[in-house]
Amino acid sequence: MNSIWPLVQNETIKIIKKKRFYVVLLVLLVLVPMFTYAQMRQAQENRTKFGEDWRVELQQAITDNQNSLGSDRVPEEWKKYRRVFVQQMQYYLENDVNPNEPGGVTFTREFLDNSSSLFIPLLIMTIASDLVSAERTGGTIKMLLTRPIRRWKVLLSKLITLTMFVSLIVVSTFIISYVISGAAFGYSGFNIPVFTGFQPGDTGTDMSSVHAIAQWQFILMQMGLIWFVGLTVGLLAFMVSVLVRSTAASIVIMMAALIAGTILTNMAASWSTAKYLFMVNLGLTNYLSGSPAPIEGMTLPFSLGVLAVWALASVIVSFAVFTKRDVLN
Amino acid sequence: MKSSKSSVRIWRITGITSIVATIVLIGGFIYAISDVLNPVGSTYTSDATASGAKPATTVATDGSFQIAVLGDSLAKGTGDDDGSGFARRTVDLLQKNGKEAKLIANLGINGQKTASVLSSLEEPGVQHVLKQSNMIFVSIGANDLFNAGEALGNTQQAPSKQQLLANLPKASKTLQQILERIAQINPDAHILYLGLYNPFSDLPEIRVPGNEAVTAWNTTALNIINSQSNMSLIPTFDLFQQNLNKYLSSDHFHPNGTGYEQIAERVVQSIE
Repeated sequence: MNSIWPLVQNETIKIIKKKRFYVVLLVLLVLVPMFTYAQMRQAQENRTKFGEDWRVELQQAITDNQNSLGSDRVPEEWKKYRRVFVQQMQYYLENDVNPNEPGGVTFTREFLDNSSSLFIPLLIMTIASDLVSAERTGGTIKMLLTRPIRRWKVLLSKLITLTMFVSLIVVSTFIISYVISGAAFGYSGFNIPVFTGFQPGDTGTDMSSVHAIAQWQFILMQMGLIWFVGLTVGLLAFMVSVLVRSTAASIVIMMAALIAGTILTNMAASWSTAKYLFMVNLGLTNYLSGSPAPIEGMTLPFSLGVLAVWALASVIVSFAVFTKRDVLN
Repeated sequence: MKSSKSSVRIWRITGITSIVATIVLIGGFIYAISDVLNPVGSTYTSDATASGAKPATTVATDGSFQIAVLGDSLAKGTGDDDGSGFARRTVDLLQKNGKEAKLIANLGINGQKTASVLSSLEEPGVQHVLKQSNMIFVSIGANDLFNAGEALGNTQQAPSKQQLLANLPKASKTLQQILERIAQINPDAHILYLGLYNPFSDLPEIRVPGNEAVTAWNTTALNIINSQSNMSLIPTFDLFQQNLNKYLSSDHFHPNGTGYEQIAERVVQSIE
């Protein structure tokens, strides 16, 4: 038994046969149609207000945001986002490109943007939180460890399997979102131009490095970044599931951390050390679309570094604990 | 390791798909990092097929009103109890009278002065909205003249007529440029300029200088408008003169719902 692959094979089959992955697909298949329907209603409402003219609709949105920029009641934080929004939308108008060209591909791009910091990590936890603790709850861990295989190999095989399923979940999210929303909005739109390279700064957005890419390229980049986020969250959830005996507890711990992250990103601007927390750095796709970072000083390399450190630390802890700990029950 | 046939199949399918997926995603990841870290700015050249060619200006010629509003808080409708403003109320009145009317867009921005309206006219989105309309309402100048009410609050003494009129020569010149630029952008549209009223006519120390300043402004505006064929001025000075309590909102600067309704009725009288 030198090779690790039979172990990976075994883990993969376990995940499929225990229907963990089907749960993920089922959640997507139920929720994506709901989002699609909501989006459809919104589009219909806008059409009755503005007709088919996206330019008028966009200009009205710009004016509405400019109005809130002048208001003293609007917090400075929101103004920063709106100022960036106004500049970006004006850039789209100047180049006569519709930023929200209706279609399944555009929907998928927005869906991925919105799901990168909470929804997809939650889906990944379904698998990651269960990998080790389920063996413990089911009592199968003893059988696994009494076989003549080194413990680190067992754990490594589980980690490889986790990586495989992170990739599968990210790709499935894309496919399901595209297929379902395409039925409502149409399947075209891979070549629509999207602008990227906006550099939000203190005095406004720097436009010098803005360039257009095709929407499929943008989505590919989004998915790559989401994959990295998913892997980090997966490794953390994996560590928690090594440390905590029950699956339920490990899921609760991870969920609390993720939800804390979404709350913190909305209000932590003045607490700058919060940027070293992993859950504040999950919105990597924001660096693509050019919306300002939640905390001063956050950049893509910074966020990647923070996530990488957390991921690495959790791998080290997982191995240290798993190879040393006595298995009693 | 013994495996059943179905297990082998599961392994093959999942294994191969996930390896392919992982490679693609890592590729996307690297692409994203390099694109964010070393962005190469380039100007976009439309290939016209992407978002559809710009539609020809299709302003209805069937007597229906396609209305756009431009300017300051009065254009936006600040102070109105239900936020409609005189533009939305005009559209509602026209519809009640059996006319076909549509508010294309309301581009009023609180606190706007003449200079920023003039520069906004060069934005493609604003130009597009103006081109879609056949009736353009403009309300601007009050913030230039009264400095958004600060003339009243900041100085210990009541501002003199001279202080109020300090901005008049420059602002009225900008107003002329605004109106001419709009007429240039959309030569077929009818432009209605909303005259100013004196929101301070119930304060003894500012009533007379305020009245004089507003009258001077309105006269200058009327002179500009009279020289153009497709423009009119909607007077509001007399409406508010003795009715501030009735028509002003609680901020003592903007009209309330009733005040906007009065303005809308005037507008309807002049265009119907």
